[in-house]
Amino acid sequence: MVTTGSAPELDERQFEALYHEHFGFLVAVAIQKFRVPESDAETLAHEVFLSYLKDPAHVRDLNRWLLGAICHASRYYWRVNNRLSREAAEEIERIDPSTINILESLPNQIAAREALECLSPRYQEILRLRFFEGLSVPELAARLGVKKKYAAKLLTKCLRRAETLYERKGRRRLRRR
Amino acid sequence: MSDKVVSFERAQRRPDPARVQEFAETARRLQRERLESADVVARALRETPREEWPRLATRPDLRNSGALNRLEAEVSARLEKEPQEALLLSDLAASIAETLPPDSYPAVVLAQLRAHAWKDRAQALAYIGRYPEALEALDRAESRLSFGSLTHDRAIVRYVRALTLQKVNRFEESREMLAECSQVFRDHGDDRRYLYCGVAEGIQLYRQRRFRQAYDVFLPLLEVARQSGDLETEARLQNNLGHCAAEIDDVSAANMHLSQSIAAFTELGKTFEAMRTEMTFGRLLVTRGAIAMGIQRLHDARRSFLMHDMVEDAGICGLELVEAYLVSESPGEAIRLAREIAQQFLNAGLNERALLALGYLNQTFSDRSASIETVRHVRGYIDALREDPTREFVAL
Repeated sequence: MVTTGSAPELDERQFEALYHEHFGFLVAVAIQKFRVPESDAETLAHEVFLSYLKDPAHVRDLNRWLLGAICHASRYYWRVNNRLSREAAEEIERIDPSTINILESLPNQIAAREALECLSPRYQEILRLRFFEGLSVPELAARLGVKKKYAAKLLTKCLRRAETLYERKGRRRLRRR
Repeated sequence: MSDKVVSFERAQRRPDPARVQEFAETARRLQRERLESADVVARALRETPREEWPRLATRPDLRNSGALNRLEAEVSARLEKEPQEALLLSDLAASIAETLPPDSYPAVVLAQLRAHAWKDRAQALAYIGRYPEALEALDRAESRLSFGSLTHDRAIVRYVRALTLQKVNRFEESREMLAECSQVFRDHGDDRRYLYCGVAEGIQLYRQRRFRQAYDVFLPLLEVARQSGDLETEARLQNNLGHCAAEIDDVSAANMHLSQSIAAFTELGKTFEAMRTEMTFGRLLVTRGAIAMGIQRLHDARRSFLMHDMVEDAGICGLELVEAYLVSESPGEAIRLAREIAQQFLNAGLNERALLALGYLNQTFSDRSASIETVRHVRGYIDALREDPTREFVAL
């Protein structure tokens, strides 16, 4: 770990090393814990690094400081952007029983793979963990760092999205024929 | 498919090289400016008459982050003793920060520089009692912090706002704000500011005479101060806890906390603080009825002051003793000590007004009109002479 008290002696390569060492973790926290979209999470992480430079000599525990900063930055992000309206949040939280077995009901493995390829990397990851690695919902929740209930609901949303995209893809194929 | 899956493993996510470069370049630049500006700012302030400081805002070598950081430190150092100078310097800093070109630093860094300059101006204004203007300056500071990553900076600004709100008796707002800031500092591992928040809250409760609550706020902070190795804050917390305990009539807890405070101040080499705590302890014991124990503490404190040739403080402590002797109905001791104090002031060549007041006290002893109120009046006057050496003595 970088000892922040010695920040004034760091050279450029060390600054770069610091960025590389912590960047992935900060972005992962923003995405997994706070559901910040990936590109915005990377911007938040970058701004956290820049804000650290104001007074590095007084940061006693860099890991803790960065973690605190990214968590608060993520909360602020949602407060300001208000992207997660109450209705949208409830929609995400609600489980649709008809979607629970969608993946199993898809015609075959190829179709499932095609459907997954249409999804964003985040959704791909969630479905891969659940259906290819066979994680249970509690295990998935633990892996994502979210509550069980929310993991189940997130899963539903991923499946719905996969279904929509897969159907759309199918319609395009039919039109081409 | 696996190559499209995003892994959240720390090592597998690659940052944008352009951003890494921006970070490293900014870091190097801020570091260089910090080092270069230390002497530049000190020299500029030394060589420029105070009334011309505002003109320094146009000097190219002061228009950078390092100079602004240095000015922040200069403001902080002057707040207590030279608040008007602190205000001038914070004006200068705000003027520089606000006129830096928008592309001179990354937007986050520029926002910090501007917000801290306004925060310093607010602190200086609060020190000279211009509270509405201080609150306006804090509004400006907060308005500059429109980035999610600046929550820690926002908490620093809000901490100053909480202290300012206390000054205008908006206690509940202040407490809510301190609680909020306290959480942010804790989350960032900023124990120093976390302690400041707790101490500010405890002192506010103490001033509102909510002694039990103040005690409960101070107590858990002790462990944080210990863990962060902040012995000075620990000593002050023990002192505050001692005062709270005394107010809630828990003499044994007061004894324990104040003894530990004295030990910590002594260990830190802060002899004066240790002696003052000893004196306060003695006074508290006397007012709480533990007169013999109080007199012993006051004697110890007075002896220490005299050993360090601090005649004035020894005199004030002695007058506490004189009062204690009157309370314990030992007028002979009180008379003897009052004369001794006057002689010591005379020998040390202290303020003649103080000698006049002590002469008056001794006269009241001679004509048997001395009372506890007389002693308190004289002691209060001598204490006030430290702030205002020309103040005239008025007999009771």
